[in-house]
Amino acid sequence: MTTARRLLPLLTAVLAVVVLALVVAALPWLWDDDPAAAVLRVRYPERGFSPAALDALRAELDLPADPVAGAVGWLGGALTGDLGVSWVSRAPVTPSVLAALGVSLTLALAAVVVAAVTATALLAPGVRRAAHRGGPAGRGSAVAASVLGAVPEIVLGAVLVAVVAVAWGLLPSTGFAGPSYLVLPALALGLPAGGLLARMLSSATESALAEPWVRTWRSWGTPPATVALGVARRAVATAVPQVALLTVGLLGSAVAVEQLFGIPGVGSLALDAVLAQDLPLAQAAVTVLVLLGLVLGGVGVLAHRALLGPARAGAEVAVGVPDTSGRARSWAPWAGAGVLALVVVTGLPRDPSTTVTERRLAPPSWSVPLGADALGRDLWARMAHGALLTVGTAVAVTAVCVLVGLAVGVGARSARAGVADVLNAVPPVVVGLVVAAVAGPGLLGAAVAVAAVGWVPLAVHARTLATEARASGYVRAAVLVGASPGRVARLHVLPAVVVPVVRHGLARVPHAALGIAALSFLGLGAPPDSPEWGAVLAASLAYVDRAPWTIAAPVLGLALLAVVVALVPETRTSS
Amino acid sequence: MKPVRSTHRLGVLLAVLGLALTGCFSVSGSDGQDGRLRVGLSFPPTAGLSPYGNEATLATRLGVTEPLVVLTGGTPTPALATTWTQVSPTSWRFVLRSGVTFHDGSPLNPEAVAGSLTRAAAATPTPRALASLADTGPALTAVPDGAGGVLVTTPVPDPVLPQRLSSPELVILAPSAYADPARPSPVRAGTGPFVLTRVDGSAGATLDANPSSWRGPVGAPGIDARFLADGAARANALRAGELDVVEAIPASQVASIAPPQQVVGVPLPRSVAVYLDQRAPVFADPGVRAAVRAALAPVDVAGSIYEGRADPAAGLFGPATPWAAARPPHPVTPPAPVAGQRLRLATYSDRAELPEIAAADADALRRAGFTVDVTVLESSAFEAQLGTGAFDAVIISRSQQLDTGDPVGYLASDFSCGGSYNQARYCDPATDAILAAATASSDVEARRRAALEVEARVLAADAVVPHVTERARVGLGAGVTGVAEDPNEQFLVTAATHQG
Repeated sequence: MTTARRLLPLLTAVLAVVVLALVVAALPWLWDDDPAAAVLRVRYPERGFSPAALDALRAELDLPADPVAGAVGWLGGALTGDLGVSWVSRAPVTPSVLAALGVSLTLALAAVVVAAVTATALLAPGVRRAAHRGGPAGRGSAVAASVLGAVPEIVLGAVLVAVVAVAWGLLPSTGFAGPSYLVLPALALGLPAGGLLARMLSSATESALAEPWVRTWRSWGTPPATVALGVARRAVATAVPQVALLTVGLLGSAVAVEQLFGIPGVGSLALDAVLAQDLPLAQAAVTVLVLLGLVLGGVGVLAHRALLGPARAGAEVAVGVPDTSGRARSWAPWAGAGVLALVVVTGLPRDPSTTVTERRLAPPSWSVPLGADALGRDLWARMAHGALLTVGTAVAVTAVCVLVGLAVGVGARSARAGVADVLNAVPPVVVGLVVAAVAGPGLLGAAVAVAAVGWVPLAVHARTLATEARASGYVRAAVLVGASPGRVARLHVLPAVVVPVVRHGLARVPHAALGIAALSFLGLGAPPDSPEWGAVLAASLAYVDRAPWTIAAPVLGLALLAVVVALVPETRTSS
Repeated sequence: MKPVRSTHRLGVLLAVLGLALTGCFSVSGSDGQDGRLRVGLSFPPTAGLSPYGNEATLATRLGVTEPLVVLTGGTPTPALATTWTQVSPTSWRFVLRSGVTFHDGSPLNPEAVAGSLTRAAAATPTPRALASLADTGPALTAVPDGAGGVLVTTPVPDPVLPQRLSSPELVILAPSAYADPARPSPVRAGTGPFVLTRVDGSAGATLDANPSSWRGPVGAPGIDARFLADGAARANALRAGELDVVEAIPASQVASIAPPQQVVGVPLPRSVAVYLDQRAPVFADPGVRAAVRAALAPVDVAGSIYEGRADPAAGLFGPATPWAAARPPHPVTPPAPVAGQRLRLATYSDRAELPEIAAADADALRRAGFTVDVTVLESSAFEAQLGTGAFDAVIISRSQQLDTGDPVGYLASDFSCGGSYNQARYCDPATDAILAAATASSDVEARRRAALEVEARVLAADAVVPHVTERARVGLGAGVTGVAEDPNEQFLVTAATHQG
């Protein structure tokens, strides 16, 4: 029994690698395309090919006859440490994957440091105040965190380049030749991630502050600093698996930022390999990412246990239910909702699609209050018409993610790494490409792709909270009196998990919109003439320093959305 | 649980990771203080700048490799060969420049030249410039012919062989370059003003000035080249003073570039056009194709999307081919009434302007009464679907020179029934006959007349609706001069290029 349990993660890893190798090997068949033609198109663009050239290349590359043969052949080599030879460059795959992975690890770790510092800076004042005065930490920082988390990385990166590198000349704009090259991309990736982390951590601090021991400590006159540290430790315990997740996620998902800064990372490598149908390279990149994801996911779980250690050993984790009564209401979310509604309602009668040459990149004026885009289309109208599409899709995606995340997270028997860690490590653009290969490009395919990986952080969060809840006295008591596992999950674990996870999920609504937007940059989202905010961003990013208003409209929309979602959990828990 | 030990373990792990990562930065380039040119090229090589394939132009643009002849205004002029004569309908004799050495010190002799050309002709796929000669076996044979001469024989009479030999895929490399016959390496094996010393994967390359260049003294002591696929990243690097010479600045970025940096535009033989699939059911009626053309006519692509940095197209050929200005008028089909027909319009995202054109075109077509679905794909995914009938109309940026400076080869590939890149799926026996006659003609004027005749036929059939002809937009840093303004996009950095 215990041996089987111990072997489980190993089995998961092996199964994941086999399945992924199969999926990648099946791509040409999913695309109904000839890998030989794809390889030739990369090296010889803009020309057709004779059947003879294709045959010669097929013979030379020894292309597999079907996906199973391809996957088995590659896995056989991988077992002996040979990851194969790139079909495009004919160079061994291992050195290029390892080099790209090193670059991405450096970038991801730097971004995680930025994110951790950002999250701490956002949360520290509230916790300190709460430790002094008692009661909840307040939601002002949560709104700020929400808004920061809704800033598209690529927009932040483009603005940082335009201001810090080009206008001020302080830091290099592109390349990866030393630590100074790391600053801007790490900020672009880390600041929004920090907002998201803070948003998630604020749930953790709220429940930690509500735990009975805090009152006990305070009543004994424990110094506020010690109380704050205790709360921080509890919150950090919950956050550590998320940080591990974030690190792994950043490895593969930073494609757009890597391209903007000319950084040869593993996300771009995997994307290019999949696009070129360079299957050995794609298989190697995805496999390495997934294995690293499993390792880091496991480290996160172990660290969570270690930090929770004494409490867990004493069976004394009493999961607090945040005290929501008598909390000062913030006006900001209502104002955000009001502004968003006003912009949408007043913008709907306007014409979002007619191009007007004379109005190209027109700045805001009476006739176009939010300015016009590169084709002279009214950005107010586009923002309003795109709102329903963007917000609706993002909310639907998030709802699916929350449900799946709760089911998986609470249902999980073990806190060990599983499918969630595997999916988290696969670059979302690769998932997007696979979905697009099956369903064709479009908003629906993009939504499916984002949902396919979007439930993972929620599941991990739910899993973490469920582990804590199961360690609490009342759950143990319930188990002792003979409650069935289902009953325990339903009646005791779920209530402690639902609120923070739903809150986390809501914080991720703008993030889902951003995920769809990121796929729009690769032509995998809404069509380019759609007013969906991601498509609007993708179309306008090139004009960020000439006509900032072209990206201001969708960025503003996302920020307002973030302010609004910061509001929702409050009303729900206090009702 | 022993938290202290676990935390300790975590610390050790992080320390190990940190140590492992210190070696992860790529080798840094120069800071431009020593006169070395920092050059930004637009696509990363996958085969170490091998002459076989697309990245052959990277090596010629960096001044590493050179062909026997170069095209100047469409006419072959001497490079590694000084003179050439057609000794029979199927063979030409090239006299080599004397005293030229390869970067590895070995001499440029007839054996080396014959070896380079023979290997190139046998490469798979056949270099584009030779493709039309390769129907029945090797495209050419090259043998040493007396002192300093090479005899090149083709299977069929070929009036434009010197033009073909100007292709970047047919450059002459030292024998040492062919260790891997499928991927010759130009590292220390070219003849140009710059010696390629190192290719840093797909990130960059390092070059030094060639002290014994046959072109004389070289202006810059060396080049640090970087390959940046993202157009905005290239423009940013130029504006931030990190690059001195940058190719392919996107039109949207030009307005942001201010002195001392500048952008020079060179008209290119490259057209951006909408190709209407002749076999698409929606286009069975020629009147519907004419309606598309009429609907797209008012879209001012050159003026608005390119902001005047491309030339509005009167036909396929533009200012880079001045002889085309004398094009005869062609018959015009009257547009049929439009009643909501559904069009699938597609383009690719690698050229920043194309998605914008697609959106503008879609709007114009919708206003004309069509129902339009727009798809934008990454170029490889897009090319995979080309010619399969997945789209009714595609917007493509297409070069018309195909390395030979010859318009007939381009038209045969794009508009003949058996053409290898016929995106309009246009097939007309009369057009094929004109192309066949022109291919056999050695008279340049006759070939150009035939090209205009074919252009008129495909325009009359509304197989293609031209938007603009492109310009090369080369970004130059402060004080950089001597960059080649080459309409064939073969040369960029030359012996004359230097900074300040």
